[in-house]
Amino acid sequence: MMPTAIIDTVGVLSTAGALFIVSAGLTLVFGAMRLINIAHGSFYMYGAFLLTTIAGAGTGLRFWLAVVAATIVVALIGAAVELVIMRRVYDSEHLTQLIATFGLFLIFADLALHFWGDNSRTANPPAAFAGQVAIGGAVFPAYDLVVIAAAVAVGLGLWVLLQRSGLGWRIRAAVEDPETLQAGGTNLPLLRTGMFTMGALLAGLSGAIVAPQVAVAPGMDSSIVVAAFIVAIIGGLGSVPGAALGALIIGAAETIGTIVAPTWASSFIYLAMIAVLVARPSGLLGIPERRQ
Amino acid sequence: MRHARILSAMAAASLIAGVAACGSSGPSPSAGRGPVTIGESTTLSGAIAELGQSGLQGVQLAVADINAHGGLLGHKVKVVSADDAATPATGASNVRSMILNDHAVAIFGPVSSAVAAAEEPLAAEYKVPIFFHTSNDINLMGKGFTKYAFQVVPNTVMESRAAADYLAKQSGGKPITIATFAPAYSFGYDTVSGFLTALKDLHVHYKLVAQEFPPLEAPNISAYLSKIVTARPQYLFNAQFGGDLVTFTKQAAGYGLFAKTKVIAMYDSPVLEALGSSAPASAIGFDRAPFWAIPGLGAFNREFHARYGAWPSEWAILAYTAVQTWAYGVKRAHSFGGDAVSAALAGATVPTIRGDITIRACDHQAEIPEYVGVVASKPDPSYGEILWDPSSLFAAPFATIDLSCAQVEALRG
Repeated sequence: MMPTAIIDTVGVLSTAGALFIVSAGLTLVFGAMRLINIAHGSFYMYGAFLLTTIAGAGTGLRFWLAVVAATIVVALIGAAVELVIMRRVYDSEHLTQLIATFGLFLIFADLALHFWGDNSRTANPPAAFAGQVAIGGAVFPAYDLVVIAAAVAVGLGLWVLLQRSGLGWRIRAAVEDPETLQAGGTNLPLLRTGMFTMGALLAGLSGAIVAPQVAVAPGMDSSIVVAAFIVAIIGGLGSVPGAALGALIIGAAETIGTIVAPTWASSFIYLAMIAVLVARPSGLLGIPERRQ
Repeated sequence: MRHARILSAMAAASLIAGVAACGSSGPSPSAGRGPVTIGESTTLSGAIAELGQSGLQGVQLAVADINAHGGLLGHKVKVVSADDAATPATGASNVRSMILNDHAVAIFGPVSSAVAAAEEPLAAEYKVPIFFHTSNDINLMGKGFTKYAFQVVPNTVMESRAAADYLAKQSGGKPITIATFAPAYSFGYDTVSGFLTALKDLHVHYKLVAQEFPPLEAPNISAYLSKIVTARPQYLFNAQFGGDLVTFTKQAAGYGLFAKTKVIAMYDSPVLEALGSSAPASAIGFDRAPFWAIPGLGAFNREFHARYGAWPSEWAILAYTAVQTWAYGVKRAHSFGGDAVSAALAGATVPTIRGDITIRACDHQAEIPEYVGVVASKPDPSYGEILWDPSSLFAAPFATIDLSCAQVEALRG
């Protein structure tokens, strides 16, 4: 394999890994509750900001503890949002839900400006992964391996949760027939709170993981939510494996676009989305909604 | 139905208000000795908001200082500000509203040159002076020039020529390999083009081995970086700024780029502060107004730090200077009128916090230098932040880095 091809492959996997973690949270919430959450980008941004605050200049154990702490704090924020606001709009129209989450998005953006200001921030990568890895003449950032490993761990964890546990069965049943599920003794509100919290947790984790690679600044909430929606739509809203596939497609499309037609590189991801929607409107691994 | 009526009524009211505003006699200070208003329309949200917010701080501090000294022509000065969201249509709408509704007598801003290009003809239409203190496309004073526009920031040609001057000295006449990296919009393309033209003019023997133009605010630029790393240039000229440059530096360090390639980029104080200990020592930085390098800025730096808890960025210094320039024009003209202020400032030498600045008559470009230096490895003892190595500081003089009046005239066609 040529060195350039190795570098590009690792780059695609790293890009796709970060996108997958954040998109998995978005698609999980949609899959469980049919809720389109614009504020998902805010949870991602808060994960990144909290990581910079908690880790400071730490590159050892403090960095890893900061990733855990930032993720938990964002999950708690998600739980509070669900308990106070979201559970009041589940029975509303999609447009009402969309406006509610957009309102939250704006409020979170203003709060972030208040707490962290408008200047960019950064975090240092952990010392063990601060350098480069050399394979077959190719040199790439060692931290990319952290992002890829985190994505694989999240993917496996979600697969076990959704396909190999009773909770996964309940989550699927909550979409198909919530009334019967509740009549059978399942605490539906608690299940929904748990899923929304899980979505926020994944967004926060993704933000915390990418913080050492980017400028953490206002605006990263809106850019990631657009990318996450594209990934989720390509994969099929509600499908976690679809989110993984969608993230890989977007990562590859962006990289191939940069190599083949740099001027049009950013258009490639939209072309990929349009092509998928034309061929399969419910996304690659999405299940078409049954008409009532 | 009731909602439809309310909406119709609101639409009618807006229309009437709009027609009334269009029929007004243009901007003028409030009657008597009431305050006069100036408008700062800039980017206050999104990824490049830190440039706009910092500029707004500079404008507000300048106005506070003017008012503390009795105001202008007996009037206190008031600032209205609005977010243009880095969108030309929003910027133009802000400027129109500031002139027609707030009766602003001068406009300041914006961050994006594309927004500035949309605002410039509008300010001319209403005969209101407009001062660009961050956006710096050469074409604003070239093809798009109007007599009401002033540029108090080094333009895209000056910036790239200063970096080229520095590189010419570094190369010592030997052949070198170069790559460029810039945001994919007019500013990025113009700056790179200006840089390469300047290298040719300076007879630098270079081979261009890679050129990349990533989109603005791209969170992951690994695909672009891998092409640069593979090309192995000796020098990389990067026209990114703010958060994009921070992201570039973090990700490029992951590829070990700084160990093999000398990077030339806008390593100004906000970027260096954000990078902290990750700042790339020995990279070459350029800055439009470094607070630590401009002689005589000490008192201003302390005042700014006392008020905002941070040292002033170039964006704040340039915005403060822009307001000082306008205020000088008003005093000299004894009027807030756009025609009078414009005539008073063309060719004038304006006393500012950074010393006397001449506004070149042919294009209203402030005759100021661009600064270049090498990023230090340790925090500066005076300011507690990583800045530039003091021994490396180079102020590229205006006369050697800007186009001549004849060249600007040629640009206008």
